[in-house]
Amino acid sequence: MIGSIILTFALVFSIISMVMYYLNFKGYNNTISYARIFYHLTSIFVIVASTFLWYYILTHQYQYKYVFSYSNNSLTTGLLLSSFWGGQEGSFMLWILLTVIVGIILQSYTSKRVDLEPRVMAVFTLAISFLLLMVSPWFKNPFEYIWTTPIFVDLKSINSSYLNLPFLEQFLFPDPQTNTTYVQVSSTLLASLVQNGIDPNTFIINGRGLNPQLLNFWMQIHPPILFIGFAMATVPFAFAVSALMKNEYKEWVSQSFPWLLAGTGILGLGIMLGGYWAYEMLGWGGYWAWDPVENSSLIPWLIGVAAIHTMLVQKKSQSQSEGIGRYAKTNLILSILVYILVLYSTFLTRSGILGDASVHSFVDPGMLVYLFLIIFISSFTLLGVGLLVYRWKDLKSEIPQDESLLSRELSLFTAAVVLCASAIIVFVGTSAPIVGRSVDISFYNEMHVPLAIIIGLLNGLSLLLKWKTTSTQELLSKSVIYLAISVVLTALMIIFGGINDIMMILLAFSSIFTILVNGEIAYKIIKNNLNRLGAYVAHIGLAIFILGVIGSSAYSSEKTLNLVKGKPAEAFGYQMIFTGYEPIENATKYAFNINLNKDGKTYNAAPVMYIAEFNNSLMREPSIVVLPTKDIYIAPLSYEQTGDHSHSGSVLIEKGKSINYENINLTFEKFEMSSDVMQAMQEGRDFQLGAVMSASSNGKKISFNLYRKQSGDKVEFTSFESKELNLRVEMLNLSAQGVELSLSKLDEPKNKVEKQAEEVLVVNASVKPFVSLVWIGVLVVVIGFFIAFSRRLKESF
Amino acid sequence: MKNKYIIGGFIIVLFLGIMVYLFTQSNIKYENNFTVVKSTNKTVKATGSWVKEKNYSYDSENNLFKFFMKDENGEEMLVVYRGAMPNNFESATSVVVTGSYQENYFYAKDILTKCPSKYQEQPNTQSSSL
Repeated sequence: MIGSIILTFALVFSIISMVMYYLNFKGYNNTISYARIFYHLTSIFVIVASTFLWYYILTHQYQYKYVFSYSNNSLTTGLLLSSFWGGQEGSFMLWILLTVIVGIILQSYTSKRVDLEPRVMAVFTLAISFLLLMVSPWFKNPFEYIWTTPIFVDLKSINSSYLNLPFLEQFLFPDPQTNTTYVQVSSTLLASLVQNGIDPNTFIINGRGLNPQLLNFWMQIHPPILFIGFAMATVPFAFAVSALMKNEYKEWVSQSFPWLLAGTGILGLGIMLGGYWAYEMLGWGGYWAWDPVENSSLIPWLIGVAAIHTMLVQKKSQSQSEGIGRYAKTNLILSILVYILVLYSTFLTRSGILGDASVHSFVDPGMLVYLFLIIFISSFTLLGVGLLVYRWKDLKSEIPQDESLLSRELSLFTAAVVLCASAIIVFVGTSAPIVGRSVDISFYNEMHVPLAIIIGLLNGLSLLLKWKTTSTQELLSKSVIYLAISVVLTALMIIFGGINDIMMILLAFSSIFTILVNGEIAYKIIKNNLNRLGAYVAHIGLAIFILGVIGSSAYSSEKTLNLVKGKPAEAFGYQMIFTGYEPIENATKYAFNINLNKDGKTYNAAPVMYIAEFNNSLMREPSIVVLPTKDIYIAPLSYEQTGDHSHSGSVLIEKGKSINYENINLTFEKFEMSSDVMQAMQEGRDFQLGAVMSASSNGKKISFNLYRKQSGDKVEFTSFESKELNLRVEMLNLSAQGVELSLSKLDEPKNKVEKQAEEVLVVNASVKPFVSLVWIGVLVVVIGFFIAFSRRLKESF
Repeated sequence: MKNKYIIGGFIIVLFLGIMVYLFTQSNIKYENNFTVVKSTNKTVKATGSWVKEKNYSYDSENNLFKFFMKDENGEEMLVVYRGAMPNNFESATSVVVTGSYQENYFYAKDILTKCPSKYQEQPNTQSSSL
């Protein structure tokens, strides 16, 4: 309750702050201090509300629906902290929290730059107000009580001292399929609890917990970084709109530039961490699946990077006194687009519209939220585009002279065009599900290969071009040496690396060319002025990244292997031996140890499989052997014990059904369970379940019982023998589906194939050459962004 | 330098043309009616649910995972997927398979399972009360 109140106050303060900032912009000088106070109050309230949410999660206050849905008693502190953003409501909260923190820095930054603050902060607080509306009690409020809407809670999560309350009976719903009983928690139940003098806050004692795929280190780090990137995307938008408000287009470029650099750098890092998570933990087999959720954060990033290139031209041409500079309109459009695309990304992943298309989209949040998200995007699009159209004529009036074809200006612009083209491809593919379509992954790949080649060549060429104009001859004489070395190196790659696809050859060539040109210039710069290093570092990183992509995707090979325990198998020149499995992490998971031998060296891999209690599903985690030139990626598929009797000659009989075995009619009459079995199961006490069976042959009928006995984690099954019928019945399993039996004749040796129990681990092994270059490349790009950021920050006054 | 714009415009048109062409080539339709799925051999994304009552198996020799799916009308089909049972499969409420219908089974290149569990779970409890 208190959380919702704080958030509502934060919303009100944010709106007041926005109005005050706007009034200040309109000339009311005395409102600026109120605007600042209310902005800081907004941030304090948001921080306090977030602290409350964290506090509720850490202290297991399951009366809050959010806490119940995304955490439980067994999570470690680190994971409890990250439960904060495990669901929709909380991830909006995280976005807001990071946005207000970015806003505090932005407020201080803008207040030092003449009249910038009221305009930028008015737009920024507008964005915060919309986000705060999103988590308000009308939409996705993380502080909603569990009683508000009916929800089914596993009986195990209910405080056991209340289990014998008579009125509870009417709220119980058994689910025979999974053998669990659920309690329907609703306002009616709350009323009954209160009536009986029970503190409702003590009713639920455990939560559902997080999806097992989220239970790892990356969950703690990837979402916050991605959301910092999202939060910072608001800033270029605010700067662009503030320039349009004032109708002055010169200064905002330098002022917005460091923010854009830092924002895209962080967003890029966040996207990469997501890719690494997918590769290392989720066993997707790769780092990028063109999944709509990944794509939707890539689109604003691409546009942001495009904007960096054209803004650089505008800055440069301003310094050469060309008025507002070149590409003023382009820069406004791109800066506005970055934020609108972030909102669009939110819309795609939160509205449920990608329901069938994505692995990790959220489920349908309801019509109201859907509409609100549409209003959110439309408002900001209208604001940005509307102002742009309104000011279009003023922007048109200043057209500086054309640049020549061979100039750095034009090549930077071309780079931006290529980046936008890439963004358009991803946009079209990702949006296809809206119209009930979907594109194959090949669509993205085939479109991007030529773009990547162009980017590589431009990347090198543009640096050899001077600003304004360069003569063809000069360009040729400068580039010939790089081109020659690139040709030689590419030829070496073709000969020794076995690259044979023409597109891949071109791609490799263009990447090498980039590295050479940028490397040479970077080397010169290191000797002179470190400050200017950013762009070159980022471009070298990009080229390294592309080489990594070529190696790891185009030249990866994979194989499915059946590894019999103790028996070596051969793959990719490695001898692989499955040596057995062992329980890890308190026996909740199993690690399957594999030894890889080559040239006298041994490497260990231990892919993991386990049944997750959370969703009762088999989960798998790959194991990666990282070698200098390649990764060996081992994804487990299944584990089987052959020779185990459950696979030879077992029969399943459903309740009430019969089967015929050697003229004997066997019937599974019914289950036999004592009245306290359910309770024993829940409390983890020993219990037994029975099956009442009958066997009839030639008019003779014998009834007998078989039992499944559980004591602790140990399960035993009983068997039955009848000399009269010459029959041996062994129970193998008993479940809701029926009873599983192994049948044999007494005078024959046991049906059991105990000859040799073979353990077989099936894995999908693949070799990914130079995949580490992908990570190194992105990290180098990010470092480049930050070097550039520190340089441009100094120029931003 | 008007030529510049003509060349630029030409490249953009060419790019859009290639994109539209590739889009129509590689775009795949969602289909939740298995009668339609069975009547064509085009690649589709068939959406339905897993028939848990029927047997499913994993053939490790050939790395094939076989199971049954049904659509809203109860129309069933056998699905064969090259690969192992995906993570989360047992708890999936709906399954999307990408592939095409062969003579008597659906050959899936890709399986996507939708689990209610990840973000909002409603256990499929039957309405009968005790």
